[in-house]
Amino acid sequence: MRRTVISLVLAVAAVSLLGAPGAWSGEPIQIALSGPLTGNFAEYGQNWQKAISLGVEWINAAGGVNGRPIAVIYGDSKSDPKEAAALAQKYTADSRLVAEIGDFSSTACMAAQPIYDRAGMVQLSPTASHPDFAPGSVWSFGIIGTQAGEGPFMARYAVQLLGKKRLAILNINNDWGIATRDYFVKAAKEMGAEILGVETYFETEKDFTAVLTKLRGLKPELLYVPSFYNEMALMSKQREKLGWTDVAMMGPGSLFSPKLLEIGGSAVEGLYTSAVFFPGDPRPDVQKFVKGFEAKYQATPNMFAAVAFDSINLLADTIRKVGTDRKAIRDELAKTKDWPGITGKITFTERRDVYKDYRHLVVKNGRFALFEK
Amino acid sequence: MLVAQLINGLTQGSLYALIALGFVLIFGTMNLVTFAHGEVFMVGAFVGCFALTLWHLPWYAALALGMLAGWTLGFCIEKVAFRPLRAAGHMPPLLITIGLSIILRDLAVILFGAENRSVPSLFDQTFPLAGVQVSLLQIVILALVGVLIVGLHTLLQHTEIGRAMRATAQDHEAAYAMGVNVNRIFSLAFALASALGAAAGVLVGIYYNAVYPAMGVTAGLKGFAACIFGGLTSIPGAILGGLIIGVVENLTVQFIASGYRDVVAFLVMVVVLVVRPQGLLGRKLRAV
Repeated sequence: MRRTVISLVLAVAAVSLLGAPGAWSGEPIQIALSGPLTGNFAEYGQNWQKAISLGVEWINAAGGVNGRPIAVIYGDSKSDPKEAAALAQKYTADSRLVAEIGDFSSTACMAAQPIYDRAGMVQLSPTASHPDFAPGSVWSFGIIGTQAGEGPFMARYAVQLLGKKRLAILNINNDWGIATRDYFVKAAKEMGAEILGVETYFETEKDFTAVLTKLRGLKPELLYVPSFYNEMALMSKQREKLGWTDVAMMGPGSLFSPKLLEIGGSAVEGLYTSAVFFPGDPRPDVQKFVKGFEAKYQATPNMFAAVAFDSINLLADTIRKVGTDRKAIRDELAKTKDWPGITGKITFTERRDVYKDYRHLVVKNGRFALFEK
Repeated sequence: MLVAQLINGLTQGSLYALIALGFVLIFGTMNLVTFAHGEVFMVGAFVGCFALTLWHLPWYAALALGMLAGWTLGFCIEKVAFRPLRAAGHMPPLLITIGLSIILRDLAVILFGAENRSVPSLFDQTFPLAGVQVSLLQIVILALVGVLIVGLHTLLQHTEIGRAMRATAQDHEAAYAMGVNVNRIFSLAFALASALGAAAGVLVGIYYNAVYPAMGVTAGLKGFAACIFGGLTSIPGAILGGLIIGVVENLTVQFIASGYRDVVAFLVMVVVLVVRPQGLLGRKLRAV
């Protein structure tokens, strides 16, 4: 009798651990994640992890996928190309894993891409925006939109909306930074802007005083900085310290993170950026996600959390339709049309990337706000 | 712009010089090289950062605490890695310091995370000088480094303990025979060198607004380079070496490109060492 009670308690505990209302009709469906859970991009990776575990919780609470729960295997790549490739080897060899979400940077994604391609496993990156990433393999998908879309958008923002004609660029020296710079420069030149100077920096750089002093000598009206929040915050602080105040700072949507405001403080006031996801968006599914995220983590989700949330839900919906065969998932995913995500509707082009609607943002009184002229 | 870049270069160079002085003190007195100096610098930077952000102390207290942490760490490193191996030659202590540097760096990653930690801005004001805006922080850093160097000079030249250190540097055994407690001098030199390295760490953290566990790697390398460049055991040489490397780096960014700063800095150093193997102000090497 006593033994029965104990095993009953254990069984209930086991089921409730899975977060399910009743018994599952099968093993969990496993999806792999490769992202920067630690390291310099850790804030992005941790946002992914939070949003994805919230997504999984909601999917499983609603009965899972075809009677089976979803489980995500989290792997830490630090967004290092070597680590991303090693994780890809591990994931593709494990037949229980049906698809992969990741990696973070285009560089890391493209390093792992040939491995997913050879093994035949979906590689769905929430954030890779390099225009050559998704076309590189029929197994690769990108849902953040590419610089081919964001570059001209930012150029219109700078040249037409803000009326800045004398521009200078300071970009991170990697695949993503160069592509981001080139699409912006091409579009800005077509709109009649003048590019006074282009400088690059390496990923580990912390001292921007010399390069800022050099750019300052060119007297640009606006400095466009394809970079991440960490460097942008340091750069802004060092710019402030040098007393260079008569320049507008602008960067792509990669800067849209509370950490930028936290590290940058007063130095990032007036900075222009963009976003595909804005927590103040009144759409009900966006508000449901924002409220759920805030209740669980006491923090407002950012764009990176939102695209990760879309990634897991998109995969779950796809698996719901075609089952867990890796090839069937790819074929169905490629057909995705007008799928309603919290970062806008997702329709894959024949290159398996998407065009996004962007929002004009500006840092105002220490917060991100929609830009109004 | 040239004046601005020169000031940027001198500020950065003065910080390299401070790190280089540590190498000079240790090599000068003990004839040994440490590869954990960059990590002592990093620990100093973290202590300074915590003092400013968590304990909300003023900058001078942060600097003092950072130096105290460096002093203590240096004292311990000397006791653990150098003292027991005095008779073992050059290699074992060298390897131990490489090991210690990896341990300290990885411990910092485990304890504090690999990402940047933000340090608040201090001395934000700028003022015009020779037609350019100069940051007060740069002047404060230059002044503080100057004070530390003058302090070190006074200690070495005008005190009893300084004389004992110089005697030990010239000849351990003769100094020992004259009643100098050589072990104590070694401890002192190592702790002093580490305190200077940690001070550089605190100042770098304030200057660039960021501290992170890997920051000691390049800083240690640049400091070591400045020390060799200057002549290995020469204090004015190390200062000159640090300043030259800093200025060359910043002028490279201005006139060539940002990516070439280390390439040109080390190229200049290689060329100088080929022409003058004893370094800028070093003594001529004796033929063995």
